[in-house]
Amino acid sequence: MKRRLCSKISAVILLIILSVLLSGCWDSIEMNKLSIVSGLGWDINPDTGEVTLTYQSIIPSQIKSPSGTSGGGEQKGIGTLQTIQLDHSTGSSPYDALNRYTQHGSRIPFYQHTQIYAFGKDGAEKGIYGFLDTIARNPVSRPNVLMVVSEKKASDILEIQSGMESIQAFGMAAEIKLSAEYSKYPAVTNLEFSNRLMSKTTAPIATMVGTFEENGAEGKKIQKIRITGTAVFKEDKMIGELNERESSGLLWTIDKIKKGFVILPEASLEIVKAKSKIVPELQNDKIKITVQIDEESNLLEYKGHQNMTTDILQGLEKDQAKEIESQVMTAVEKSFSLNADVFGFGEAVHRKYKKEWKDLKPRWNEIYPRIEVAVKVKTHLNEIGDVNKALMKH
Amino acid sequence: MLGLLLKKLHFQRKNQNSKKASVQHSSPICLSKNLDENLQLLKEALGQSSDVIIRDMKISSNSNVDAAIIYIDGLVDRNLVNHDILQPLMLNLQLIKENVSQNHSSLIDFIKSSVLTVGQIIVADDIDRVISDVLAGHTAILVEGVTQALLIDAKGWKSRSLEEAKNELAIRGPRIGFNETLRTNTALLRRIIRDPRLTIESLQIGERSKTEIAIVYIKGIIKDSLIDEIEQRLKRISADAILDVGYIEQYIEDNPLSVFSTIGNSERPDVTAARVLEGRAAILVDGSPFALTVPMLFIEGFQSPEDYYARPHYASFLRWIRFLAFALSVYLPAIYVALMSFHQELLPSPLLITVAAAKEGIPLPVGIEAIFMIILFEILREAGLRMPRTLGQAVSIVGALVIGQSAVSAGLVGAPMVVVLATTAIASFVAPSQADLGALLRILVVIVAGFLGLFGVVIISVEILSYLASLRSLGVPYLSPVTPLDIRSLKDTFIRAPLWAMDSRPASLDPNDTRRQSPDQMPQAPKTKSGKRERQ
Repeated sequence: MKRRLCSKISAVILLIILSVLLSGCWDSIEMNKLSIVSGLGWDINPDTGEVTLTYQSIIPSQIKSPSGTSGGGEQKGIGTLQTIQLDHSTGSSPYDALNRYTQHGSRIPFYQHTQIYAFGKDGAEKGIYGFLDTIARNPVSRPNVLMVVSEKKASDILEIQSGMESIQAFGMAAEIKLSAEYSKYPAVTNLEFSNRLMSKTTAPIATMVGTFEENGAEGKKIQKIRITGTAVFKEDKMIGELNERESSGLLWTIDKIKKGFVILPEASLEIVKAKSKIVPELQNDKIKITVQIDEESNLLEYKGHQNMTTDILQGLEKDQAKEIESQVMTAVEKSFSLNADVFGFGEAVHRKYKKEWKDLKPRWNEIYPRIEVAVKVKTHLNEIGDVNKALMKH
Repeated sequence: MLGLLLKKLHFQRKNQNSKKASVQHSSPICLSKNLDENLQLLKEALGQSSDVIIRDMKISSNSNVDAAIIYIDGLVDRNLVNHDILQPLMLNLQLIKENVSQNHSSLIDFIKSSVLTVGQIIVADDIDRVISDVLAGHTAILVEGVTQALLIDAKGWKSRSLEEAKNELAIRGPRIGFNETLRTNTALLRRIIRDPRLTIESLQIGERSKTEIAIVYIKGIIKDSLIDEIEQRLKRISADAILDVGYIEQYIEDNPLSVFSTIGNSERPDVTAARVLEGRAAILVDGSPFALTVPMLFIEGFQSPEDYYARPHYASFLRWIRFLAFALSVYLPAIYVALMSFHQELLPSPLLITVAAAKEGIPLPVGIEAIFMIILFEILREAGLRMPRTLGQAVSIVGALVIGQSAVSAGLVGAPMVVVLATTAIASFVAPSQADLGALLRILVVIVAGFLGLFGVVIISVEILSYLASLRSLGVPYLSPVTPLDIRSLKDTFIRAPLWAMDSRPASLDPNDTRRQSPDQMPQAPKTKSGKRERQ
């Protein structure tokens, strides 16, 4: 009895040991066999329709470590490309291109830490569905990668060093996030993009990034990148873009204002709190949308050289409301002219009028430009920054 | 494999048992009336050792009765023997009346009751008893014509003085630790607990060493069956010698093959007393400055004496620090290995890039690197411990600096790995009683993490936890009061509740008297008629 039990136990132990040893560590990859892809670019050749993927990979040995034992690149300033490496591969489809990477790469690409998906403008205008489908199916891709449209080719913005980060894509992502935090341009993740794409009526948006030249030290020209607008898509094809003012109007409408500034001719105000709501109304087959905005701000600068009075404060509040309203209206007009529902008005109607929506949805393209939009702005100016007496009077 | 080992052990145990049985069944030899015969027997038994002193003398008023005292030089207090045994016997006995001295058997009673001015005297008539007591440090008196011997406790030998407990330090609280003398240790406990029900039971274990063992408990608090169980387990031991409590520990464990220790130990009388007061029993061994306490719960490894002397908030915080440190010391290298070789996506991107930069150009896979460093650390630690004290520190510092620093700069080991290992090493010293356990578990978990990643870490943790839950310490579940859950006893686990709130003894020990103190003792400010006045 005991002998049988013992042999059973030892058989089980042997099985466990063997199953571990024989299976090995099948899923394990050493860090130094990985190439961490920080940004992925996507371009289409307009003539052949071939897809070119641009990989921006990190070169770990070039990252300056604090002790200076590795890297040690003292001379490497902004504008050089030593911490990252660009690789291109071309194929008939995104996966075909991805597949060809192994022809010239020495390490396995690792997409889990990718910060940026960059699209060339030409490619974006042709439609990016192929790429979105690939990353949606791939389990290693993350939903929080920022969607960026380059003014020219995707590889252009991926090779220009930008920001204070040592890795270019991280710097670009930080720039976009900062501008979203200060409510200038939206930062759009691929999850948000896909959600907008799936709603049928809402138009997807992405951040538009362009390059510019700056005079650097010793008369050298330094290339830098900056955000230039918001790309507007109709389904998966880019059809136009919003400029700075229109982008602000978009953010006010879709409740994405966190903090930032409202600049008036006579004063500058700092946004403390802002909230907006889209209220649709359906009357005899006519849609009326009211955008309700609640805003609270502090006074930052005032050019009037006058003592502050309640009247002036109230005047500023009114001017501010007018400015916000006009920002929203320009965005609305632009979206009407593009016939792209970037605000999600359709979804708002859908939520409120479920029964009628079935009838409205197929005709949304015709209905949308004829929607009546009203903006109601409530502003409140805090008395912070309210210097009673002007420092200098005229 | 394990089964084979078990079988072998079992076989050996059986062999020993049969030998023991044959030794024990010899009948005791009684003392005879003839003094010379008795002395002859004793001399044969004790051999020709130079430290055995046999002193012949003639006692009684007319010096006509032969007598002898026997003791071991060095084990007895010579002053005591000279002044309180030899002097009364040889001088004072001459002054007494003659009729007493004629009757030998009444003579020995008379000596015991009226002559000797020492405390503990035992009357024995069994020569084995005389031999064993003489070897334990008693002084034996044999008188011609009497079949009894007087065994006088005149022990006195050189021993280390009481010193501060070196391994269980506390900033606040008593400093004293046990020393190697059993009697001193029991006295230390007796001084703390003056309850008449504090019982110190004695046993002799060891075929050759005949080591004194004491079981200390409080009658009325401890569960009765627990004492029976301990006695039974102790009496089963038949070893050559018991040199330390560690010997006892290994003979009475519930799970002798487990890496988890189910017998507690302490070198502090206050800790031992506190455990005895909670309903545990302490086992003291002559020659060991440690006390075993049973049953032991897993949580005891994380309780420090200072927890109870410091204020509860900080004590509770320190409990968590110790839990955290233990978890770190077991899991940190494993989690690092798993993250580095399986789950690079789980790290925040900037951290990953930093680590990737440090890992660049390291030839070893991270799992091998971790095991290499762990073993290196254990070697350094052991070398530092075993070297002569003056060299030890230098060796460990130089070793760590040279090996750690130069291994990194030579590109053999990544700098993050050194950081991980150093953190692990420091963390393992936070709960020193768990350090040896932590070292074994660490290697096991790292190996599993190297093969299976975090998946393996989770699996092995579940295995370890379920194994812990299956352990018993003298029948008490090892993980109680957490599982089986006893909410009232949780007051002394994850938090250390204020002393006035801990009314009852741990229920898992099943004490006879569960009430520790009267409830509602929360101190309050004296009530005044108007609250306002007090505030002024």
